[in-house]
Amino acid sequence: MLQPELIQLLTASDLVDLRIDAIPKLQVGFSPGSLFSSFTSQDREAKLTFTFIPHQILLNKDHEFFEDGDIHRHLYLQNLSTCPVYDSPTARQCEFRCHISGCSQVFSTVEEYEHHYNTLHRHMCSSCQRSLPSARLLDIHIQEWHDSLFSILAERQDMYQCLVEGCSLKFRTREQRKDHMIKIHQYPSDFMFDKAKRIKKINIANKNRQQKGTSMEVSMSGSEPEDVCQVLSDQPEEEEYMELNHSLEPAHHKPTETTAQQRETLLQVSIYFKSQMAHYFLHGAPHDSNVFPLDLQSMCNDPECIH
Amino acid sequence: MWRLNAVRHKAGRQGSDLEEFKFKRRAHEKELRRARKDSKLVSKILLLNDDENEEDGTMDTLASDQVLELFKMVCQGRDLVKKEADLRALRKALRSPSAHLVLIRQQSSIAILVTNLRGPSPQCRLEAVRCLHELSQSPHSEVDSWRLRQATPYLITFISGQSPKFTELCLYTLGNMCPDSENVRNILLAQGIIPALNSCIQIHRTNLAVVEAVGFTLSQLISANYVTGRIIPAVLASGLIPHLLSVLTPVLTPDSQFGLGPVIECAWCLHYLACSNVDNGALVAQGTLLRCTSLLVTLGGAVAKGSIEEGMELLIWPLLRCVGNLLLSGPLGALQPQLNDSRLLAALCAFPQAFLQTHPALARESVWVLNNLTSAAAADSSVFCSALFYLNLVPVLIQLLPFSHGINIMVLRVLGNIAHQGREYCLHLAQAGLLPALCATLKMADPEVVTFSLEVLGQLVASDPQLAEEFVRQSGLPVLEAIQYSNQETIRLRAKHLLEHHLPPHCTVDTSASP
Repeated sequence: MLQPELIQLLTASDLVDLRIDAIPKLQVGFSPGSLFSSFTSQDREAKLTFTFIPHQILLNKDHEFFEDGDIHRHLYLQNLSTCPVYDSPTARQCEFRCHISGCSQVFSTVEEYEHHYNTLHRHMCSSCQRSLPSARLLDIHIQEWHDSLFSILAERQDMYQCLVEGCSLKFRTREQRKDHMIKIHQYPSDFMFDKAKRIKKINIANKNRQQKGTSMEVSMSGSEPEDVCQVLSDQPEEEEYMELNHSLEPAHHKPTETTAQQRETLLQVSIYFKSQMAHYFLHGAPHDSNVFPLDLQSMCNDPECIH
Repeated sequence: MWRLNAVRHKAGRQGSDLEEFKFKRRAHEKELRRARKDSKLVSKILLLNDDENEEDGTMDTLASDQVLELFKMVCQGRDLVKKEADLRALRKALRSPSAHLVLIRQQSSIAILVTNLRGPSPQCRLEAVRCLHELSQSPHSEVDSWRLRQATPYLITFISGQSPKFTELCLYTLGNMCPDSENVRNILLAQGIIPALNSCIQIHRTNLAVVEAVGFTLSQLISANYVTGRIIPAVLASGLIPHLLSVLTPVLTPDSQFGLGPVIECAWCLHYLACSNVDNGALVAQGTLLRCTSLLVTLGGAVAKGSIEEGMELLIWPLLRCVGNLLLSGPLGALQPQLNDSRLLAALCAFPQAFLQTHPALARESVWVLNNLTSAAAADSSVFCSALFYLNLVPVLIQLLPFSHGINIMVLRVLGNIAHQGREYCLHLAQAGLLPALCATLKMADPEVVTFSLEVLGQLVASDPQLAEEFVRQSGLPVLEAIQYSNQETIRLRAKHLLEHHLPPHCTVDTSASP
């Protein structure tokens, strides 16, 4: 409950000097050049942006701030507060909300929020709105998919980096890279941890925001809590996913779906991807496609495709 | 003692009665909240009489003609002994609210009661005042205090009298009449209720039941609407304040029979006086701030020991409000001598910890008082801010940041006040662990919390580059970058400003995707 120091402070009956004016005062003021050092600060923009000024607050008796206390007082006067176990409002822990405009998902712990953010918003490709698990993989993704120079260079030299961190080898084709990863790094043939997870694109009205050379569109995820890595790792839910997978119908993604439907769609998609992963990444998906490629098998023209 | 009797009876409830009781209470609470929003929050007290057993179900409601019959006998009777018996029977009949309407509609009924009130027989007087008391707390709007106004000059006269039981009844009757109408209050004022209360509290200062009744009546008088004009200045000028303050003794060995009742009532009176802001300088000059803060320190000690009495929060609440508002009565530096006990700060930090789960609003009000201590002119508040560090109280405040109900916002205000003092203060705040705590509050759902967090953060990182680096080390950059996507422009602007002006450029470790 209360800290021992606090208890001691309040219950000390011996003659410790309790006077506040005996306590050494810290020096006030800021070093020159600090932003908030004085009201004559040069930085007008800062002063307009940051508006908090310490001020005392006077409250009259009818202020809503005093409501709970007044109610308690009147319950006492009216004899109804003598119940030993009664439910009055208890302090709630604050919720956490994803700040990405349009996402607005709410979480009850920081950990949940961070996991959500790291999965869906953190390393996001602004060109195709795919979310990657790490900065490095995002860089590789951008390079391989959105850099026009890349495909030109790739004709002449080994450009496809091994995806394993620390391995600096490069390969001429995706297939070679894939073989390398399976043979040398012992990855399973259907494992593709940097498969880009596609998220639904929604325009937001932030037309005034000028970011340095970024696209104005920010994509938001549906409320899909599962991420790619979770789906791929060995979890007890795998059985369930496998079952769902068999009964899956390819669904055409409609932009006007409700949140719950989005969630369902994304879940089905990510399950499906579990077995289509390598294919999807290796052969790529059309950049301009807004349709979840649920029917890749039939679409794939590659004779070597083993999926 | 009205409350004590009620408590005794309620102790006997059990089982399903408790559930029903809780249900009733919840419904009642909703009603009260609605009434408060309409500025109609009013309570009246019914004093239980010694010869009554509340659980006595054998007392039937009398029919209206039976009530009238009783009344007729009261009117006609000459023999005082018989009259007393008749009055007693009438009074018992009035325990049932339907009888109120019968009586009030009877012509001259109040006049007859008043005649007995001022009559020669003390027993008749007692029964008459009991009848009037029943009427004063009637649930029927038809039985309002205006109808009872003939009694007031006598009631007021009698409260300067000597007999405690009779005085108590007069007081609660007057107290019940105060909130009803401004006209009645004006009459009471003209008839001298305030000097009468003043002499009453002096005459009966050793009788806790009467002191509690005085406190209650005064609180009803000054908490009604439209009182700042005449009533409160009259109270301030009357000499009542020192007597109220003398009730607020720091000795907390509550009388086992009366508990904290009298102290609670006097404290609420002081709160109503202070928040009206009519002449808080006068209140301070008479020692109100000193007495209230001493009592808060004593209560803080009790809380620290873990001995939280039932009803203690009813006392802490008005004291906090009184102190909080009195801190604005003048320059804080001038009030410093009355605020020199450093344990006050400790108490203000202990209350939120102790009452967080049971009364979060009390926690919030406690931090509000800290805000008023730390937000005055820098020269005046720096002493309190320094003391908070010296006594290691800042971590206690930081622990309150996860909690909503307005608590975290008020704590952020206090932390912002401290940060605004200067660079040394910012460094100490960081040492106390504020930066990681801000990383958490920046992620919260309430936009106001995020805005305040950005303000405090801005102050910290702008005051010293070390703190900017520390923030980055605490993985704060991704949090700010995420905030730039918020749909609240005020939030985005602050985050952007910090990223552009005060934080080192993106480090190699742990950057998110390029914005």
